[in-house]
Amino acid sequence: MSDSAPLPQNAHGNAVFVCRDLEYAYLDRFQALKGVSVDVLAGERLALLGANGCGKSTLLKVLDGLVHPTGGTFHAFGELVTEDNLEDEQFSMGFRSRVGFIFQNSDSQVFSPTVREEVAFGCLQMGMDSNQSLDRVHDVLTMLGIADLADRAPFQLSGGQKKRVAIASVLSMNPEVIIFDEPTAALDPRTQHWLIELMAELNAAGKTIVVATHDLAALDQMADRCVVFSEDHTIASTGTPSEVLYDSDLLLAVNLVHEHTHRHNKAQEVIEHSHLHPTAASHHHA
Amino acid sequence: MCPCGCIGKHKKGYFVEKTLNGGAALMRQVMFSEDVAAQPGLLQRLDPRAKIVGLVVLLVSASLLHNIATLVAMYLLTLVVAAVSRLPVGFFIKRVWLFIPVFTLIVVLPATLSIITPGKVLLQLWTWEGHPEGLTEQGLTSAGLVVMRVAVSISLVVLLTVTTPWIKLLSALRALGVSRIFVLIIGMCYRYIFLLLGSVTDMYESRKSRTVGAVQHDKAARTLVTTSAGALFGKAHYLSEEVHQAMVARGYRGDAKTLQGLRLQPIDVTFALGVVLCAAAALGGDRLLGR
Repeated sequence: MSDSAPLPQNAHGNAVFVCRDLEYAYLDRFQALKGVSVDVLAGERLALLGANGCGKSTLLKVLDGLVHPTGGTFHAFGELVTEDNLEDEQFSMGFRSRVGFIFQNSDSQVFSPTVREEVAFGCLQMGMDSNQSLDRVHDVLTMLGIADLADRAPFQLSGGQKKRVAIASVLSMNPEVIIFDEPTAALDPRTQHWLIELMAELNAAGKTIVVATHDLAALDQMADRCVVFSEDHTIASTGTPSEVLYDSDLLLAVNLVHEHTHRHNKAQEVIEHSHLHPTAASHHHA
Repeated sequence: MCPCGCIGKHKKGYFVEKTLNGGAALMRQVMFSEDVAAQPGLLQRLDPRAKIVGLVVLLVSASLLHNIATLVAMYLLTLVVAAVSRLPVGFFIKRVWLFIPVFTLIVVLPATLSIITPGKVLLQLWTWEGHPEGLTEQGLTSAGLVVMRVAVSISLVVLLTVTTPWIKLLSALRALGVSRIFVLIIGMCYRYIFLLLGSVTDMYESRKSRTVGAVQHDKAARTLVTTSAGALFGKAHYLSEEVHQAMVARGYRGDAKTLQGLRLQPIDVTFALGVVLCAAAALGGDRLLGR
């Protein structure tokens, strides 16, 4: 018998994911999530911000049904998601086909012997035949400009190419929600820019984007709304990127920025940077 | 080390470095194999299933041969096939014969002595109660047979692996009925060996960059190897967990489905017939020539 629980009454009407009071601890000792409640709305771009080890990646894995909270509830598309429910083939197929996850470490995600096999993997598990899957693979590889890599082995690829293959492997399944874990980490500036533009295009095409990131400089290009985690694994604040980025006290409190980091705003142009000041008093300049 | 040589001492790399260099050499070899597999040679054009079946037929027939001349003929045939498959013949011969002295000669050498294989002594090495003892004709023939069988077998396996991309080899194994999960695990092992090799190299280089003075082959070196192995085990475990999650995230439920893309062509049938004829000729010739 499958687990069930009604959708929380205060859930947003347009929410695809509803998390209430999530608790999670690794090995029952290391707390990763403490009373986390968050709604992810259909079609939005939501960024999870926080210092290393605050629980962002764990929350993303909960949202993809890869780890299961020890307390609280997680509803996706109106249904309660639990380990037992995901044992059900129909439920699992429905959930997996609607949610895609792009891991921070592309090496974890690119496990097949060739790029073609990798990108086809999700389609084949969803029950598509080889010909349909190959058509999808071709379309996605062409869209991402990596059709020439189709027969290459993953160990022959650069970090940026692996990231593109990892993204292609998820896009080929055409999910409604795409979860990115630190997508711009360890990428060169050109690939970072390409990725941010791709995320915007996917969102414009109707995809819901959830992203965990430290990249404050690109935050307003990546997200419409931010959830800020504090180091005690709770949610410290939510708001638009501008509201969060201009709240220096909040960013300092959650250990996301150094006290020498600040933003200039000259004629609508925001420049965020860090440098040393001769005196503490000169930290704030217009 | 001072350029004038007044201080410091140049030492050859120690065992950890040698092992890592061996790993890097393996990587280069695999890259080279991929290049060879992409050449437009005879074996590269064939369906990998036909090649695997052909390999098994030839391996079985080679193990049934009892005459060195037939085995030598079969070995020469592998050289011809290597040449028409655009495989550098020098590399091919080296790759096969480098293994044989190490693994086979050591095993068969005692069998050449009269105390193990009695017979006509061709080279006397010592006497035992007045009887001449040494290398016997029968012993040398048996050793020659084993060495040639190993040489032919390794040549056949090298021909298959070097002219077939790894992925096609795995697909062929799957198509020939090898368990899906077995093929998936082999594929992943191959894929992640290189990643873990990279981790080992990084760990070693980070230690080397912080090491001053000569490296000793002592307890500290052994401790490094064991602690590194432990750390690598932890990394491999974490990686395996993430890989499994990545598979589950894309719908894997314990039975991975893979692409099917192999089709037999007329050339494959011709090759299969050629292999059967070759094996029959070798066995017939062997029977005619006798031992």
